[in-house]
Amino acid sequence: MTADLLAGLTAVLQWEVLTFLAVGVVLGAIFGSLPGLTATMGVAVLTPLTFWVSAEQGLAMLLGIYCGAIPAGGIPAILINVPGTPASIATSWDGYALSKKGQAGLALGINALLSAVGQLTSIFFLAVAAFPIASFALRFGPAEYFGLALFGISLMAGVSGDRVIKGMLAGMLGLGIATVGLDPMTAYPRYTFGQSEFLDGISFVPVMIGLFGLAEVLIQISDRWGKLDQAPSKLGRIWPAWMEWKRMLPSTFTGAGIGTFVGAVPAAGGDIGSVIAWEQARRLSRNKEAFGKGSLEGLAASCSSCNGAIGGAMTTMLTLGIPGDAVSAVLIGALLIHGIQPGPLLFRDHRDFVFSIVFLMAFASMVMMVVGLLGAKPLARALRIPSPWLWAGIVMFGAIGSYALNNAVVDVWAMFVAGIVGFLLRKADVPLGPLVLGLILGPMMESNLRRALILGRGDWLGTLTSSSIVVFFMVATILSLLLPLLKKRRAG
Amino acid sequence: MLGVYLTVSAAALPADSGGLPGAGFFPRIIGVVTVLLSSALLLKALRGSSASTFVLSHGRVIGGVVGLTFVYLLLWGTGFFTLRTFAFLVLFLRFLVQSWRASLTVAAVLTAAIAAAFQYGLRVSLE
Repeated sequence: MTADLLAGLTAVLQWEVLTFLAVGVVLGAIFGSLPGLTATMGVAVLTPLTFWVSAEQGLAMLLGIYCGAIPAGGIPAILINVPGTPASIATSWDGYALSKKGQAGLALGINALLSAVGQLTSIFFLAVAAFPIASFALRFGPAEYFGLALFGISLMAGVSGDRVIKGMLAGMLGLGIATVGLDPMTAYPRYTFGQSEFLDGISFVPVMIGLFGLAEVLIQISDRWGKLDQAPSKLGRIWPAWMEWKRMLPSTFTGAGIGTFVGAVPAAGGDIGSVIAWEQARRLSRNKEAFGKGSLEGLAASCSSCNGAIGGAMTTMLTLGIPGDAVSAVLIGALLIHGIQPGPLLFRDHRDFVFSIVFLMAFASMVMMVVGLLGAKPLARALRIPSPWLWAGIVMFGAIGSYALNNAVVDVWAMFVAGIVGFLLRKADVPLGPLVLGLILGPMMESNLRRALILGRGDWLGTLTSSSIVVFFMVATILSLLLPLLKKRRAG
Repeated sequence: MLGVYLTVSAAALPADSGGLPGAGFFPRIIGVVTVLLSSALLLKALRGSSASTFVLSHGRVIGGVVGLTFVYLLLWGTGFFTLRTFAFLVLFLRFLVQSWRASLTVAAVLTAAIAAAFQYGLRVSLE
């Protein structure tokens, strides 16, 4: 274990890797701090750029973007009440109120410092908990993997609020797209329309670029054009006073813990985690009425929780191969490009690489803390960049990035179609998360279900009750779909 | 409709191969579940319990952006990548009500950045 740990650290402590990491953090800070550009979009659009470098260098940049964009999402949330990423929604509740009171600098400072605390807490969890989880997951057979994938998709549909059916339909659409190409077991062509370009299936990364790049640009044009506030020109002090630190400490660790736990739940990301943590911190606070009106405790809970979700989501993604949130879903695609398959076998065969990921994330969160503190003023100024300039860049980088992956025009069209479909689905209030999960988990679900049925001689009931783990996943799947519906019926 | 299409087209695929689940096995399940879920959604809409939330603002601008991008992609591989990209970006920015000066400057910077990153940096053939 120590040798793997040292090997992982040595692989990271190369100047090329650290340069990619720093570039990624700065890019992430820019993506997160500009409304309309999200962490998911940043990772999706820039994944093709990592195709030409080593796995460590590519992952350094992408993890840098991830760890940089989430804290930076708090900057527009604080300054103009528009969350830069969905995860920073709760940050705007107290951050913007502080900004209106003339304490924008303090709110930005807390955001930078406590985001790092949240990230480092969850990275510690990743380092400690991932190996036992992966070791447990090594016991999984085809039926267990099918159950896990089904549970992941159902959970994503279940957390789609009152849109459970729409979420399930989106998941089915993702599973349907995943069936295009040669059948993984018999090599029979499916939905290829006689075109050889479709034999390998529809590339995952261009679809993600379309769903989170082009679709987001169209959504921005539709919903927010000309509606953004101006950021305040004066920020004030950035560093919190000692008494303020003391007041924020309990809610910081409550937030980091809740964020990590929620992030580890498949499909539930920082947006859900931060809202739960903020509410929990409010309940535990002696000063409940200040929450939402510029409470430092509220801001501490939201900043640490939305960043705590990163380590949680990465734990689930790396140990089980199931994305914890949308960014880790895109990261799976990036890892696959570099020939790395997330899942328990990664922990058995490439322990050093797992440690590299842990160190990369820890370094990225520390670099982002410095960027957040020193760069608060320039990043606040970046909010004045006109949105159409950013949209033009996203569309171009999206199109060319999609093409550059395989030098295939079909990938550019896949991005374009996915962008329009993603835009229409979002306008129809259909969540995209289950679609992405269906797309990622489709091949795993299908091949494991078929393998399990072959082993069980076609007996469905016997296969789906073949072990206590499978039964657990089946019951959890049913509950995750039924509970929101029952809750809604009771409320209505 | 997608569910019906999946179900019907999956019927043309072999459902089993030598007694084992075949290529059409999984698409059939997806098709049937999609039909069931769509029916539930339709029923909900007919009962009036599902509020339609499709609101499209700035439809003309969105149509223009999609149309411009479509034309740009149609011309992919016809040569003159730098010129084509620059012209697309200028039109794109002008369409989004940016001044001529801003459109020309931003288009030039973006084109140069893309050419530097992909054509010269990563040696991707974009012509």
